[in-house]
Amino acid sequence: MKGTQLGEFEELVLLIIGVLYPNAYGLKIRIEIMEQTGRKVAIGAVHSALSRLQDKGFVKSQLAEATHERGGRRKRLFQITATGKQAIEKNHELRNSLWNKIPDMALKGLNYGGSF
Amino acid sequence: MSKEPKHIAPPTSADRFLSLFCRSELLEEVKGDLHECFGIEQEEKGTFRARWLYWYHVLHFLRPFAIKNKRQNSNIIIMYKSYFKFAWRNILKHKGSALMNVLSLSVGIACFVFIFIYLKGELGYDKFHQDADRIHRVVIDLVESDGKILPDATTPPALAPALKTNFAEVEASVRIFPGWGTKFLMGVNEDQKFYEEGLIRTDSTFFDVFSFPFIHGNAETALNNPRQLVITRSAALKYFNRVDVVGEVLTVFSMRNAKVKITGVIEDVPENSHFKFDFLTRLTFRDLDDNWGWWNYYTYVKLANGADVNGLQAKLPAFYERSRPDQDNYAPIYTQAITDIHLKSNLKWELGTNGNMSNIYIFGALALFVLLISCINYLNLTVAGSLKRMKEVGVRKVFGAHRQSLISQFLIEALLMVIFSVLLGGLLAEFIFQNTADVLGKEMSIVDSENLLVFGLIAIAVLVVGLLTGLYPALHLSSFKVSNAVKGIVSKSGKPALALRKSLLVIQFAISGVMIIGTIVVFQQLRHLQNTELGFDAEQVLMIENANALSSQETLKTELNKMPGVSEVGATTGVVGGQNWTTTIGYPDEVLLNYVVADPEFMSVMDFEFVAGRNFSREFATDVQGNNIIVNEQGLKELGLSLDDVGKPIPITKQNDTIRNGSILGVVKDFHFTNFKSEIKPFGFYFRDRPQSHLGIKLSTANLSETMSQIESAWNDLANGAPFEYYFLDESYGAMNAQENKLLNIMSYLTFLAIFIAFIGMFAIANLTIKDKRKEIAIRKVLGASTSGVSNMITSKFLTLVLIANLIAGPLAYLVMQQWLDGFAYRTSLGVTVFAIAIVSTLLVAWFTVGFQSFKAAISNPVKSLRQD
Repeated sequence: MKGTQLGEFEELVLLIIGVLYPNAYGLKIRIEIMEQTGRKVAIGAVHSALSRLQDKGFVKSQLAEATHERGGRRKRLFQITATGKQAIEKNHELRNSLWNKIPDMALKGLNYGGSF
Repeated sequence: MSKEPKHIAPPTSADRFLSLFCRSELLEEVKGDLHECFGIEQEEKGTFRARWLYWYHVLHFLRPFAIKNKRQNSNIIIMYKSYFKFAWRNILKHKGSALMNVLSLSVGIACFVFIFIYLKGELGYDKFHQDADRIHRVVIDLVESDGKILPDATTPPALAPALKTNFAEVEASVRIFPGWGTKFLMGVNEDQKFYEEGLIRTDSTFFDVFSFPFIHGNAETALNNPRQLVITRSAALKYFNRVDVVGEVLTVFSMRNAKVKITGVIEDVPENSHFKFDFLTRLTFRDLDDNWGWWNYYTYVKLANGADVNGLQAKLPAFYERSRPDQDNYAPIYTQAITDIHLKSNLKWELGTNGNMSNIYIFGALALFVLLISCINYLNLTVAGSLKRMKEVGVRKVFGAHRQSLISQFLIEALLMVIFSVLLGGLLAEFIFQNTADVLGKEMSIVDSENLLVFGLIAIAVLVVGLLTGLYPALHLSSFKVSNAVKGIVSKSGKPALALRKSLLVIQFAISGVMIIGTIVVFQQLRHLQNTELGFDAEQVLMIENANALSSQETLKTELNKMPGVSEVGATTGVVGGQNWTTTIGYPDEVLLNYVVADPEFMSVMDFEFVAGRNFSREFATDVQGNNIIVNEQGLKELGLSLDDVGKPIPITKQNDTIRNGSILGVVKDFHFTNFKSEIKPFGFYFRDRPQSHLGIKLSTANLSETMSQIESAWNDLANGAPFEYYFLDESYGAMNAQENKLLNIMSYLTFLAIFIAFIGMFAIANLTIKDKRKEIAIRKVLGASTSGVSNMITSKFLTLVLIANLIAGPLAYLVMQQWLDGFAYRTSLGVTVFAIAIVSTLLVAWFTVGFQSFKAAISNPVKSLRQD
């Protein structure tokens, strides 16, 4: 089903939420993505992905306590749900099984620049 | 606690913008993230960049998930939706009148847009030159010894350099020497050659004065040396099939195989340039700079920045007299702004066909008229239609509608109608553009960035008019008391509204009347011109150009004469009604004589009628010598001779102080060789027995196509590969009235539309009046009035209005058209019939529209009408 598909960027966001647990919120996720992948991402894009993930039921969120650092504005903290976990696991398994099915021949010679 | 860095807040405008569109439940976290991010970026990249990036991030939130959803729970939105729904329903309910309304308004808009854009093009001639306001043409009229002045666009070649050296105001000057109808045979090689008419010879300063954008090459050096050629994009494509042709060589076969090197390629000369060309090369004639005797150059100057053209103008006559001390009479010398040439200059030997300012005024007035009529119509129809909705307004009020919401509703309806009309009008205008390209002589489209802007502006103007129109019923209807409105009682203040409607109708029909009269007069004048005896027979005369290219003109003539379809073949240097040469002859008083060189056969091809004397003849050896000529009657008159002088040797010209004799061999009846705006001028024929540039062939009517192909193959046998170029003389004569033809075409369309729109308007008003009078009609019938009596009562009221309109239109049209006709030397008269036709046709239209409806009302059953309410 389309609704339960996990887009590439969504998967990335979902994984990062896991990594950052329990302090995953919009800006932090963005910074983490930029650090881990080197991609340039706008905050809006992250928020948009988060909102989609929440609509699909892969994450849940709650507002944290107000702090001084953001002028008293609260953060929204995100957490992976059970369905979210299933979704990444499914993706992970699919990748692994596909990876294992690639015959050695196909990759032979495609070394990383080193010598044999 | 560490000391916080000096905190500069992110841009508040961005924050405000965010709050404007962002969902309120997201706003807190989003703003928090953004501010935190700003803090980080400020430290890393500095405040300035951070502020920009802040905007970048804010704009990135313009995504569906974050934008407020206005559709839900907004009263305003729901109300507006319902207004649109009701407006739409109402349009569907009154399909007929809505359609008429939209149609008439859109037709008006289309006409206006079309004419406006056309006029904009006409008025925008030569504005593309850089500093067009500083470019002027200097012209010198021709003056004859009797003091007669002939306006003339040409000047001697010495003028341009003299202007530059004598006046500090003149920054650059340039001469233009067009081909004067010569066709240059040019080509890359022997196999690929074409005849070219668009070759202009000019000075190296050409691009100092005019701006034609270069694609390749350099304007500074492109014409520095003789034998250099600048060509246009399409000429380059024609010869080389590519644009980058700088350095290539073209051969001009008709200039002793001169090889010219291409030094520049420019964009095609814009449509709105008063002179057009495909090739530019340097003038190479000797001693041009001191030559004050030739009159075939055009002089253009570009003034220095800030120089005053009037100042220069004032000094020109004295300068001209100084430059030519040998003259007795000095012709007026004056300047013309280059941007005025197309519309305001009408001299002899203009470089192209110019427009006509009075036509511009006529078109502009017509466009305004049609737009005015259609706006009036729209107003009338809208007001009329809305009055029927009194009860609806009442019911809405009962349900608690505020006055404001009623007003909004009516305005939205008006807006919808106008938007439809504007869109339809735009489509129509584009349709007209596509279909009139040949009438206008140029391709135009509304989908052109500049024209689209014009259309946009007009659309906005019409929208405003539409909204104002909607405002009247909106305010009027919403002002009634609920109780009266529900009962359908219209307040007594309906009288002035009715009077207004009536006077608007009168205006509409008066305008239609003026347009009808105008169109008929233009039509009559054109017919008059077409039926005017030309003085010769232009029918079935085929003119072949470039007859000089033949290896033997005699052979072709003999061949042609053998053909059954050819009755006569003659040679000439020019075409009567096309280009001819001029010279001055006459003694002691000089006369400017238009002339061509022709042989006796050409005279019979043209079927000139001899009043006295005889045609040229090969039997008299003297016919081909000196000043032995055939003239027209006007020529004889202006030479001061009488029919008795024909055939006798008479002193005819003075050259180098010797009086030379000549003789008038024959006199032909006057004939028209220029357009009909001017009087017939002296014309003469010389006979030189040698090949000439044109052949005139009189054809017999039978088997025209067969004869044509025979002629063509005979030509091809003798022409050394030169193309067969020909036209029919009557066609080229028809082209002389092109301006008037164009005017008539556009006028008849517009008049038809004006009548159509006025017709719709009257139909709607009549409809409304009859509905208002339903009960009156019924009571009259009950009391014994006849059907015809009742229907006449209503019809006659409208016919009176139309009569009043015609009384206004008649004198107005008379004045305008009288003035227009005064521009013609040969004009038709303004008869009573013209006005009668206008009156009768408008009355008929009115009678037809109103009569039918009133008759229908009159035969209806009075019981039905009385039982209502």
